[in-house]
Amino acid sequence: MKTSLTKGLRSGIVFGIVFIFLMLIGFINVGADMVGDISSASAASGAGGRLPVGDLLIVIAVFGVFCGIAARSKSEEVQWWSALLGGLTAGITAGLLMGVAIWLVGSLSLDGVDFRTYLPSLNPASIQYLTFYSYPQSAGLTYLMYMAIFSVAGAALAWLLSFRDWLAKSWNSCKTGLGGWFEKKDVSRIFSNQWLMIVVFLAAGILLYFLPLAWGSYWNYIMGTVAIYILLGLGLNIIVGYSGQLVLGYVAFFATGAYTFALLTAPTPHGIEMNLWLAVGLSILVSTLTGLLLGLPILNLRGDYLAIVTLGFGEIVRILIRSDLLTSLTNGPKGVTSVGQPNLFGSPFSDVNFMHLLMLLVLIGLFIAKRLKDSNTGRAWIAIREDQTVAQATGINTFKHKILALLLGAAFAGLAGALFASRNQFTGPEDFTLMVSVNVLCIVIVGGMGSLPGVVLGAFVLKGIPELLREMADYRLLVFGALLVVMMIVRPEGLWPARRVRFKRSHADPDRQDAVEVEV
Amino acid sequence: MASGYPLPQQKSKLLLHKGWGSEVTSPSFHVYRSEIILMINKLKNQRLTLGLILRLLLGLAVVIYLGWRIYQTAFGEGTYGPDTWMRFLITGLVIGGMYALIAIGYTLVYGILFMINFAHGEVMMLGTFAGYFVLEAFAAIPAPTVANPDLNFLNAQPVIALVLTFLVGAGFSALMGYMLEKIAYRPLRGAPRLIPLISAIGASIFLQNAAQLLFGPQRRQYLNPDFLWRGTGWMILVGGKEVMLTYTGVFSFVLSILLMIGLFIMVKKTKLGKSMRAVAENKQAAALMGIDVDSVISKTFIISGILAGAAGVMWGLHNGLFNHFVGFLPGIKAFTAAVLGGIGNIPGAMMGGMLLGLLESIGPALLGIDFQLKDVIAFTILILVLIFRPSGLLGEALSEEKV
Amino acid sequence: MIAAVQASQVTKCFGGLTAVNTVDLIVPKGSISSIIGPNGAGKTTLFNCVSGFYVPDSGEIQFFGQPISGLATHQISKCGIARTYQNIRLFKEMTAVENVLVGQHHRMRSTWIEAIFHTPRYYQEEQKALEKALELLDFVGLSGLEDTPAYNLPYGAQRRLEIARALASDPALLLLDEPTAGMNPQETDEMTAFIKNLRDTREITILLIEHDMRVVMDISDQITVLDYGMKIAEGKPAEIQSNQRVIEAYLGPGAAALSEKFRRKKTLYAYS
Repeated sequence: MKTSLTKGLRSGIVFGIVFIFLMLIGFINVGADMVGDISSASAASGAGGRLPVGDLLIVIAVFGVFCGIAARSKSEEVQWWSALLGGLTAGITAGLLMGVAIWLVGSLSLDGVDFRTYLPSLNPASIQYLTFYSYPQSAGLTYLMYMAIFSVAGAALAWLLSFRDWLAKSWNSCKTGLGGWFEKKDVSRIFSNQWLMIVVFLAAGILLYFLPLAWGSYWNYIMGTVAIYILLGLGLNIIVGYSGQLVLGYVAFFATGAYTFALLTAPTPHGIEMNLWLAVGLSILVSTLTGLLLGLPILNLRGDYLAIVTLGFGEIVRILIRSDLLTSLTNGPKGVTSVGQPNLFGSPFSDVNFMHLLMLLVLIGLFIAKRLKDSNTGRAWIAIREDQTVAQATGINTFKHKILALLLGAAFAGLAGALFASRNQFTGPEDFTLMVSVNVLCIVIVGGMGSLPGVVLGAFVLKGIPELLREMADYRLLVFGALLVVMMIVRPEGLWPARRVRFKRSHADPDRQDAVEVEV
Repeated sequence: MASGYPLPQQKSKLLLHKGWGSEVTSPSFHVYRSEIILMINKLKNQRLTLGLILRLLLGLAVVIYLGWRIYQTAFGEGTYGPDTWMRFLITGLVIGGMYALIAIGYTLVYGILFMINFAHGEVMMLGTFAGYFVLEAFAAIPAPTVANPDLNFLNAQPVIALVLTFLVGAGFSALMGYMLEKIAYRPLRGAPRLIPLISAIGASIFLQNAAQLLFGPQRRQYLNPDFLWRGTGWMILVGGKEVMLTYTGVFSFVLSILLMIGLFIMVKKTKLGKSMRAVAENKQAAALMGIDVDSVISKTFIISGILAGAAGVMWGLHNGLFNHFVGFLPGIKAFTAAVLGGIGNIPGAMMGGMLLGLLESIGPALLGIDFQLKDVIAFTILILVLIFRPSGLLGEALSEEKV
Repeated sequence: MIAAVQASQVTKCFGGLTAVNTVDLIVPKGSISSIIGPNGAGKTTLFNCVSGFYVPDSGEIQFFGQPISGLATHQISKCGIARTYQNIRLFKEMTAVENVLVGQHHRMRSTWIEAIFHTPRYYQEEQKALEKALELLDFVGLSGLEDTPAYNLPYGAQRRLEIARALASDPALLLLDEPTAGMNPQETDEMTAFIKNLRDTREITILLIEHDMRVVMDISDQITVLDYGMKIAEGKPAEIQSNQRVIEAYLGPGAAALSEKFRRKKTLYAYS
C-alpha cells in the first residue's frame, strides 16, 4: 500500500506542477477552446463574452483521469482499494496544488494585481475563465474535488484494464506500430500478387490526380507544404537516416537552392529571368556544391561535433544572406520578390498544376530513395551508420560514401528550395532559420530514421496537423521539443520504423513463405 | 628452434595523462627525445592522402589571410587607438569569463557522459530569468528611510540582495540541470550516441519555448542595484584617452575567476571531485569501487548548472537586455570554447572560454571585418579547430577509440 | 617464396607506453600462424597494425611484398586482408545475409546511378552477390538464418557470421582475433576443424590470436609469443611448449622449474 501512496503522491505532484505550468502559458485555455470546437454543441460562446465553463471542466476531468492512470502505471498486482487509494492521493495532491494556485492567482487578480508584466498569458479574462467566473476559493475547491474524483476514476480504470489480456495485446500492437499492423493483417500478401499491385497503384494514381482538383486552394497549400517537406525529409533521411551523419544545418542547402532559383528568375535584383526549368537544375547544382563545400572539411568529425558544426554552418548561411556584405548579391533582409512561376509552353501553372508537379516530384524522390536504399550503396551507408570503423575495414570507402550522402541530401534540399521559392513567389532570409532544420530533423527522426513511409508520415504529422490546429500554432515548438524527448525515450526507432528487406530463398522451403516480402 | 630473446624491460610508466587536474610527472629529457623521434617516424610513415593535402592548403590559406589582414590593421591607417584596444580587451575578458563558466559545464558533462548537453545554454537562460525576478521582487519591497523615503529593499541592502540573486539564479539553474538529466538523459543512458543528442536538442527547444510562452518574447531589462548600475565604473587613462572599467564588468570577471578557482579546487581536492574524475574515467570501475554513479552524475549536472546560472545572472547584470533567446548563442559559443580548450579538460574549458571571449572581441577589429559577423568568428574558430586539432589546445582527456 | 605477411621492427607507442616493441613477424603463405601471449602483450595492437587500424610508429609491414603500413583500412581490405574482432563487431541492425553482402562491397562495380535505374549490369551483380552470400552462409553453417537481424543471432552464430563476412571479400589473408572466445569445448572443436577446413579448401593464409592453448597447439604451423610488446619466442608448437621464457611469461618466474614436471603430458594450460 505504501508504494501506491508514494506513486500517487509523485504522480500528483508531477501533474499538479504540469498543470500550473500549462496554466501559466495559457495552454489550458487553448485546450478548453479546442474541446469547445470539438463538441460544437456548446458553440455558443456568446453571452457577454463568457466562454463555456463546461469545456474547462472537461479538460480538468481528462487531466484527472490521466493523473489517476499514471499513479497506477507499471502495474503490479495490487488490491483494488490500494489502487484507488493511490488514485485518490494523486488526485488530492494535484488538486491541492492546482486549487491553491488558482485561488492565489484568482484572489490576487481580483485585488487588481496585473500579472501581465511578468506572465503575459495570464490576462484577467483568462484568469476569470479559469476560476469559472466565480469566487477563487470555490474555484479552488472545485479543482480539488474534480481532480480527486477523476483520479480515482482513472486509477480504477487502469486497475480494471490491467486484468484484461486485450490491453496487453493492444499495447503490443501499438508498440509494433503501423508497420506491425501491416504485417499482422497479412497485408503484405497483397504486394506479392503482381496484378493486385498494379490495380492498387492505378487507383492511387487516379486518386492523387483528382484530389488537388477537389479539395480547394487551402488544402492545396497545406498539402503543398507537406510535399515540400517530404522532399526535404527524403534528403535528410539519406544523410541522417541512411549514413548516420547528424547534420543540423540542413536549412543551409534549402536556402541556397531557394535563393539560387529566386535570384535567377526574379526581375530584381539581377534581372536574369532565365528559363525556370533551367533555373531549377541550377538550384540543385548550387545546393550540391554547397554540400561539397560543407562536407569536405568536416567529414571526419564525430557525431556530436558534426551536429554543432553543421548547426553553425546553417546559421552562418543565414547571417551571410542578410548581411550587408552580400546585400548586393542577395538583396539582404528584404528578400527577393516576384520569383518565377513554372509554366509549360507559355501557360502558367495553376494551384492544381503545381500540386500535381509536387506530387510527381515526391513520387520520383521516393522512387530514387527506395532504389538507393536497397542497393550496394545503401548497404554501405547503413554499415557506416552502424559502425564506421568496421565498415571502412570491410572495404567501404567511408569518405566517398559520406560525401555522396551529403551531396544527394543537398540536391534534394535544393530542389525543395526552388519549389518553395516558386510557390511562395517570395523568399527572404527569415524563411531559413534553425527551426526549419529542426522541423526536418523531427520529421525524419519522429517518422523513423531510414524509413521512407516514416518520412512521409512524419511530414504529415509534423507539418500537416499543425496547419490544421491553427490555435495551437504558438505552442507548436513546445510540443516539438517535448515530442522529441518523449519519442527518444519511448520509441526511438520512430513511428514507422525501417524494416530490413527479406530476400527470396533460392531453394524451396516448405516451412517458409515463398513470396518476396516487400519491405517499405 | 626457440630463439633466445632478451627479457623485456619494465613497462614504462603511463605518462602525461591529460585530464582533470591529474598528477602530471614531469617527463625526463630522454622521454622527450624519444617522443620526438617517434613523431618523426610517424610522419615518415604517414601517407600523403588527399585529405592531408587539402588540409595543408586550407591551413596555409587561413594563415595567409589572417596574416594579411592583421598586417593591414597594424600598419594601416591606425583606425583604432590604444584606448579602443583596451576597451576590446576588457570586454573580451569579461565575456570570456562568462563563456568559461558555461564551457566548464559542457566539459564536465561531456567528460562523464560523452554527450553534448545541448540544453546547457537554456539552463543559463533560466538562471538569468530567475535572477531577474529576484531583483524585481526586491525592488518592489519598500524600505524607506528618513533620508530617502522612496528607497526600496534592493538599494537599501544591495549586498544581501545581490547575494540572494546569485544564490537563487544559480540554484534554479542547478535544479533545472538536475531535472534535465533526470527526465531527458537518464532514461537514455545506454543508448547509441545519436539518441541522447536528439533528446538534448528536444529539451533545448522545449525549454526555450517554455520560457518564451511563460514570460513573453519581449526583451526585459535587468534591474541592477544602484551601486552596480550598468555603464558606471572607474575611469582609467589609456594612451591619453579615458576608458571605463565598468563595475559590472569587474564584478563579473572577479566572480568568474573565483568560481573557476573554487571548481578547480573542488575537482582536485574534495571527495566529490575525486568521484567525478573516477566516473569520468570508467563508470563500471567506479561503481565497483562503491561510488554511486547516478548520484555523481546528478551532482555533476547540478554543479554545471550552478556555474551556468551564475554566468546567466552575470550576463543579465552586465548586458541588461535579455529574453528567452539569450542562452542560444552563448551556449554554442561556450561549446566552441570547450572544444577549443579540449573537451573533457577543465583547465582547457577555462582557457578556451577566456580565449574565445578575447578573440571574439578583438577579432573583428583586428581583421578589419564587420562587427555583424562577430558570431561567424566563433563558428569559424570551431570549424578550424575541429579540422586541424580536434582534440583541442590542451588535449582531450579521452583515450583513443580502441578496437 | 614471398611471405604472406612480413613485419619488420614494428613499433607502436601510445603516449609513454610501448605496446609493440620492434617486433618481427613472418607469416608463410598458406600457413596457420598464431600469436599468443599474456594479456596486454600487444597482440591486438600488432593485429591492428597489420590490418591498418594503427599506423606503426616505426618499422614496416609488407603483404606479399607490397608495403601496407600507413594505408587506409579500406585499401588494405582491397589488397586482400580481412579480419574479425575480439568483441564481435557486426552490423547489428542488418540481417545476416546483408552483413555478408557488405563484405563483398568492394568487389561490386556498379554505381549508385545504376542502382537507381536497375541496369542489367547492376541486376546481375546483385544476383551474383546474393548467391555468393547465401553460399557463404551455408559454408559457415548459418543457412536458414539469412534474414535474422544480427543482434538476434546466438553468440556462436554471430562469430561465424563475422567470419563469413570476412570471407566475403575473397581475402588472401584472414586475421582472426580470438575466434574461440566464450565457446564451450565442443564449439571450440568445431571452430578448430572449421579453421583447418578453411585453410585447406580455400587456400587462405590465416593469422590468429588465441588464448586457448589446445586450439593453438592443435592447428598452428607456427606460433609467435609476445610479452610486454616484445617477441620472446617463435617456432613450432612443440618448441614453444617447452620454452622456459614462454612459461615464465605466463606463469611467472620460477614456474619453469615446475613445468618440468608437466613436460611429459605435452600440454600447456593457459594461466587463468
